[in-house]
Amino acid sequence: MKRLLAWIGVTALIFLLIAALAPGLLAPADPLAINPTQSFRAPSFDHLFGTDESGRDIYTRVIHGTGASLLIGVSATAIGIGLALVFGLLAGLGPRWLDFGTTRFLEVLFAFPGLLLALLFIVVYGPGVITSTIAVGLATAPGYARIIRSRVLVVRRAPYLEAAAVLGRGWWFRLWRHLLPNVAGSLFVLVTLGIGQSIVWASSLSYLGLGAVPPAAEWGAMLSAGRTYLASFWWMTFFPGLFIMISAVASTLVGRGLQERNRDS
Amino acid sequence: MKRVVSPVVSILAVALVAAGCTAATAPTGTKPVSGGTLVYATGDAEPTCLDPHVGGNYPQALIASQYLESLVSKNTAGEIIPWLATKWSEAPDGLSWDFTLKKDVKFTDGTALTPETIAANVAHVQDPATTSSTGYLALQKVTGVTAPSADVARFTLSTPDSALLDSLSQPWLAIESATALKRSQAVNCESPVGTGPFIVTKWTRQQSVSLVRNDSYSSPPADATHSGPAYLKAIDWRFLPDSASRYAALQAGTVDVIDNVQPDTLVAAKGSADLVTLDAPRPGASNRIELNSSIAPFDDVRVREAFIRSANVNDAVTTLFFGTAKRSYSALSSVEKSGISEPSLFTYDQKAAAKLLDEAGWSTKNADGYRTKNGAVLELSFPVSTNQSIPAEQSLFEQLQATSKQAGFKVDLKPLDLSSWYGALGKNLYNLVSAPYTKVGPDVLRTLFDSAGTKPAPSGYFANHSQVKDPALDALLEKAATLSDAAERLSLYKKAQKIVLEGFYILPLYDQQNHYLHRSVVKGLRAMPTVSTPTMYDSWLSR
Repeated sequence: MKRLLAWIGVTALIFLLIAALAPGLLAPADPLAINPTQSFRAPSFDHLFGTDESGRDIYTRVIHGTGASLLIGVSATAIGIGLALVFGLLAGLGPRWLDFGTTRFLEVLFAFPGLLLALLFIVVYGPGVITSTIAVGLATAPGYARIIRSRVLVVRRAPYLEAAAVLGRGWWFRLWRHLLPNVAGSLFVLVTLGIGQSIVWASSLSYLGLGAVPPAAEWGAMLSAGRTYLASFWWMTFFPGLFIMISAVASTLVGRGLQERNRDS
Repeated sequence: MKRVVSPVVSILAVALVAAGCTAATAPTGTKPVSGGTLVYATGDAEPTCLDPHVGGNYPQALIASQYLESLVSKNTAGEIIPWLATKWSEAPDGLSWDFTLKKDVKFTDGTALTPETIAANVAHVQDPATTSSTGYLALQKVTGVTAPSADVARFTLSTPDSALLDSLSQPWLAIESATALKRSQAVNCESPVGTGPFIVTKWTRQQSVSLVRNDSYSSPPADATHSGPAYLKAIDWRFLPDSASRYAALQAGTVDVIDNVQPDTLVAAKGSADLVTLDAPRPGASNRIELNSSIAPFDDVRVREAFIRSANVNDAVTTLFFGTAKRSYSALSSVEKSGISEPSLFTYDQKAAAKLLDEAGWSTKNADGYRTKNGAVLELSFPVSTNQSIPAEQSLFEQLQATSKQAGFKVDLKPLDLSSWYGALGKNLYNLVSAPYTKVGPDVLRTLFDSAGTKPAPSGYFANHSQVKDPALDALLEKAATLSDAAERLSLYKKAQKIVLEGFYILPLYDQQNHYLHRSVVKGLRAMPTVSTPTMYDSWLSR
């Protein structure tokens, strides 16, 4: 059963990946092309997901929005994990006082809810795709850093590292060859789980008008635009929302699947 | 058959008579009942101050109409009618006006309405520390107020002001208790004291303002349908910015009246017997996009015209507003009798736009299809206030962005909160902007297009966003503002509008939309003919 779910997740992710890398294959039309005479059309064979207030095809926009949303998700996670890796390694490998300092610093960051931290960053640096990506990355970093630190603490006391040290291997060699690969296993799971979360966060920021700028096709922004018409034209919010959900669920399923496999092996 | 039918008919007849009897005595009839709390949910921004002298925007006018009153009002025919002043007269030289005040009017703090009160109010609005913009601009010609007798307030002017009565009818120049005005601004913002039918009792920020009935109320405007205190016992004035939730709350019956109704909602509400619409376009300017003529590329009239020709407004208005808004071709609101309309200046014509841009030197295109001139891209910055432009309007801007792209314009839409938006305007960092401006009477043209309007009011706000600086236009508007002869004034205002429209300084869209939706249990709700704010004085609940 768990296997099956993981494979469903993988299939969905592959579909999203295609949509992100080559949206033209799935939806050849222009996502920004307006057609006022065709506005607010319900889903039909002409417009699978219906049209929005400017007569833009929602299917085309959702597919073209995948790239933006996934890119934000992936880059935000990369930034988060990258920062977390630095902090985690510093805390896990450094001297006691450094561990103490870094951990306390992370605890301070933890005191702010993640989204609040992201909002703060956007208020200072202005809305936009890049700032919201960095904001989400920053906001997720403390959580990852803590996990990485604990993982590093376990691995650094492992017998094979002691053996390597006894054999006279250099510090960098031990870090690169032994420590990182052993931390990476759990990192990979974190990443897949994190992407889903980052997509949701980035969409939330766009929904609040702090991410993608109109008329860009981005899921959160589309959701926000459709919200006004929720009572009359449900499809404007339903489909972007569905895709946010699919991507978050798919990456979570894959992440869980990987976790299980790690545990089994 | 006959035997069967006749008893049925008689039973029906009895039933009908009975129904008629109950209808005549039931509270659902047409006789107003006293009592009850009306819940009003507004989609306008929450005011930062409940005293409309401070700043002076529409959200303040909406709520202040319930507890503050002006010297004069207007009837539906557009004539000035008595309110706190029972009569008025202009001196032959036009340099002073005498207002006779209504007798025995008391503020809700117990103080009396006297000519000194009026003087204190004018001084308050004109004091730079009050940071008034709307009221301040309307009183620019007033040099002071004196009291020639115990019930006459005399306004003295630097030059004749034909717009004075129109100006004084607005909530931004409402009369407050002089004693209350002496308190600190923070306190006065929290609990302004007027003569109105309701009293502000509590303001819970980001949530609601509580108002209760003023039981000793005695000063309704001349067009009110009753006298004495209001019918409603209290008003719960809630801030509900999300339009979908506002409508849902109205449908569920948790609120009785909503404003800022979205076009699709208006259409949906038409089918409901429980809901009644009230359309009250705001006076003053039409909703329009202003083209900043002070900086490139709109310092060239050909580029301005090209932009206007390349914007397909009609299709956008038709689809986004579902027939609830009518396209405007005028600088003024359709409620202003002196407005002129010039549809031929605003026809959608991509070929004409392309030709004009070629002539203006924007003849090359870059890889993205945007026009360039000496390497510079034809780019327009368009800060959009998400507080002042409803979602349908923001979608309309997106559609205009798409159609003007065909001509080679790169329009950068920048959704901003109100303070960042004011910031962008103050720094002259915009090429296009859409700012509603509500004012009673055609003198709004002077506020919006006189070169003096490019200088900021004490609040930092300036109204001439097109930055029109035309001495001939200034002269016309100044002259019109001093004339008492209606026909002569009208001809000058028409000439002035022609200059504005033919100069392609603005792209008119539609009237400032002002739709209210209320449950059918709310009776007697009407919009003030001055600035179209709702008044609850004559309202009552039949439940």
